[in-house]
Amino acid sequence: MISWIGDSIVSPSGFTSAENYEAAKARRSAIAPHAGDGLAEPYHAAVINKEALAAAFEQRCGSPAGLTPLEQAAILSVAQATEGTGINPASPKVLFVFSSTKGNIHLLDAEADSYDRNKLYLWHTASLIARRFGNPNEPVVVSNACISGACAQIAAMRMIEAGRYEWAVVTGADMASRFVVSGFQSLKALADGQCRPFDANRAGLNLGEAAATIIYGKAKGKAESAKSISLRAGSIRNDANHISGPSRTAEGAFLALNDILKHADKKDIAFVCSHGTATPYNDRMETIALQRAGLDRIPTNSLKGSFGHTLGAAGTLESIISKWALTEGLALGTCGFEEPAQDCALPVAAHNIASGGSCFVKMLSGFGGSNAALLFAKSEED
Amino acid sequence: MDELILELKHEIIKALNLEEISPADIGDDDPLFGDGLGLDSIDALELIVLMEKNYGVKLTDPSQGRDIFRSVRIMAEYIQAHRTK
Amino acid sequence: MLTIKKYSYISPQHAYPLPPHLKAAMAGGIDMGKLYRSLAIDYPKFFKMDTLSKLGFLAAELLTAGEEKGEAEAMNDRSVVCFNKSASLEADIAYSKTIQKENFFPSPSLFVYTLPSIVTGEIAIRHKLRGETSFYVSPEWNAELLVDTVRQIFAAGASQSVIAAWIECEPDSFEAFMMLIGNYAEGLPLSAENANELISDFRIHNIF
Repeated sequence: MISWIGDSIVSPSGFTSAENYEAAKARRSAIAPHAGDGLAEPYHAAVINKEALAAAFEQRCGSPAGLTPLEQAAILSVAQATEGTGINPASPKVLFVFSSTKGNIHLLDAEADSYDRNKLYLWHTASLIARRFGNPNEPVVVSNACISGACAQIAAMRMIEAGRYEWAVVTGADMASRFVVSGFQSLKALADGQCRPFDANRAGLNLGEAAATIIYGKAKGKAESAKSISLRAGSIRNDANHISGPSRTAEGAFLALNDILKHADKKDIAFVCSHGTATPYNDRMETIALQRAGLDRIPTNSLKGSFGHTLGAAGTLESIISKWALTEGLALGTCGFEEPAQDCALPVAAHNIASGGSCFVKMLSGFGGSNAALLFAKSEED
Repeated sequence: MDELILELKHEIIKALNLEEISPADIGDDDPLFGDGLGLDSIDALELIVLMEKNYGVKLTDPSQGRDIFRSVRIMAEYIQAHRTK
Repeated sequence: MLTIKKYSYISPQHAYPLPPHLKAAMAGGIDMGKLYRSLAIDYPKFFKMDTLSKLGFLAAELLTAGEEKGEAEAMNDRSVVCFNKSASLEADIAYSKTIQKENFFPSPSLFVYTLPSIVTGEIAIRHKLRGETSFYVSPEWNAELLVDTVRQIFAAGASQSVIAAWIECEPDSFEAFMMLIGNYAEGLPLSAENANELISDFRIHNIF
């Protein structure tokens, strides 16, 4: 168990956690049509305005010269998340954990001699972020497909619990490059318009861009933890079924849920924030996992209709939004969900609903048959 | 048609990395999907790319593939009727 | 006590452990297709994999050769955790060649391998492992990080055994060093020193 200390989101919905939370709460979507220059067809995605990002970066962190948009967004989110926490990111007791699926992959499109080739390496990006804050440790870099952001939080929890570090700065970041968009198009996985998680007419996902940072620290004593939230448990399990299709029995997702439920009473769970990509297979698979785990009477939502699928940032971004909702006593509605799907018999939250529970569950699944589940809880005295 | 069928078999083997299959192993009327060649959904998408790249045949709806990939012969007939290169 | 029960290693020059009858056949260097065929495995999906997955697949075959089927079933919570420097860069470059502006035919079967963690999934599928699968990236082989990560998987109670590997592919070279770790009566005690010593034996001292 580790305590939540601070957070920040940089996405097209806003450059702070508060703006992003308000957007999700209002069920506003940042997903918009894009012409698809250099692609076979146009697409819908949640894309950050790069000029606005550079301006926000300049104001908060200084010149963005030489930094890619991914690096700017990640650094900005770390700067904002650490602010006011009293934690010195330059301390050797702080570990930086970075999660991304594709990092600066857009550079592969550029002329080979027009950039520093090291920027293609994820450890280089992670190191650049950590050094920017004067941190002396080698960052931990997780690249575990779409569950990366959950794995990064689990890695941080284990490192802190093992006594290796006192605090962790966990950042997830990914961009919707031509590389990634063309790939998802080739898999016929993208929705024609805005995605519709768990909806009868769901037909694919949207990609999204974001950087999202959570600061964690050692679990606090009871006296000082009255209002804090902690990451209580996390589990990663493989389907052992197929590298790009989810298991028909939701094996890995079910096993991951089963693991974290050992640390919670189901009646305390306010809501489940699913992966909810809005592909026919994913949402069906998660329904089966939740049914098998006995969580199919608890409100479920998906944030993909607001932010798109932010890949390596999804784990941290969606945990942050859900944490703010839990704190406010809400289960957020699912942007894009209108008509319940027969094959997803779940109480999907269409609109925001009041919720008195003290915990929430975050689910993620990804290529390679990987699945993750996280359990967040208010402190026991609440 | 026989020529196109043979050509397609070679291209399918190459595009899908069916290293241990030879054109003679693929019957003209054998189902491409199902037990025989052990192909999956990604292979089906790769066949759609193959048709577009080599013959200029574009499938707008990927579910059309289900009908077209019933056998190499059906695939060849479809290409014959729709090819632009 | 956690021990490194077994280990395997593959580089362009060597593969370990090889059954005696294959040593001569592989003396001229390691070609992954040739190694696959010589192991007499029937797994046609091997040829669809990218180099990183092929390498991980073969290292896992060498690592688990001779393991009782029954034992493998009892270990279906086994985890696979891999580390490297370049993530899936080789697969990334292969896919990027299919999206050149003047020759734009994005390949779905190449795109699915543009995630380093796919190799952990391929190993999990092959051996029916439903434990944790994770992929970490670091600038170089880092025994301390690997051993810390593996210890923490056991401390979390996530698995009874872990396959842990350094598995790197570059345009002109490749290297896989894979260990089977668990609470075994045999093997070397799990430590960064022992892991460093094992990989050095292969890298520097050429002990095979």
